[in-house]
Amino acid sequence: MFLARIAGSAVSVVKHATLAGCRLSIAQRLEADGSAAVEPILVLDWMGAANGATVLVSTDGDIARLRLGNTTPVRLTVVGIVDQVQMAGQERA
Amino acid sequence: MRLGMVRGHVTLSLAVETFRGKTLAIVEPVTMENLRARNSLGGGKALVAVDELGAAAGQMVAFTEGTEAANPFWPDRIPVDAYCALIVDTFHV
Repeated sequence: MFLARIAGSAVSVVKHATLAGCRLSIAQRLEADGSAAVEPILVLDWMGAANGATVLVSTDGDIARLRLGNTTPVRLTVVGIVDQVQMAGQERA
Repeated sequence: MRLGMVRGHVTLSLAVETFRGKTLAIVEPVTMENLRARNSLGGGKALVAVDELGAAAGQMVAFTEGTEAANPFWPDRIPVDAYCALIVDTFHV
C-alpha cells in the first residue's frame, strides 16, 4: 500500500466490462518527503475521495475481484482516505 | 493502472499457444507533466500490453500491470503482465 494524492478523474466509454459504473480517479503516488511521483496512476475509488485528498492505495486486486468478479483487471484501489500523516519532524494533512 | 499512449502494435510469428489471436499494443506511459499539458506525449518507458478494446495509435489507455493483468483470461493461465483495461475519452487534472 502507498499514499497518493487525487489529482483528477478520467472518463472512459470503451472499457473492460467489469469496470462499468466505476469511478476512476487520476492520482499521484507520494514519496516519503511528500513530493509526487512523475507518472500518474489511475485508481478505482469506491470511497469518493475529493480532488486533492490524500488516500491510501492498495495494489492488491482482491477487493476488486470480490466486487467486480474474477475477470476484472483492476489492481489499484482506494482503501482509505487519509486524515493525517505524522512523520518524524513534520506533520501534514 | 498507469496511463499510456498507444504508439503501435506488435505481431508475433511464433508465440506461446495462449497468445494466439491476442492484439499486442506498444504503450508509452504518460508523465503528469505531459498529461497536464495535453500534448499527446508519453515520456515513460514503453512496454507491450494485451489490448482487447481495439485502441488505435494515438489513443490514451489505462493499463494494468502484474498478475491482475491476466485476470480477464481467468480461469485460463496466460503469461500476460500488462493489459489495456480502458480507453480514456476525457480526463480532468
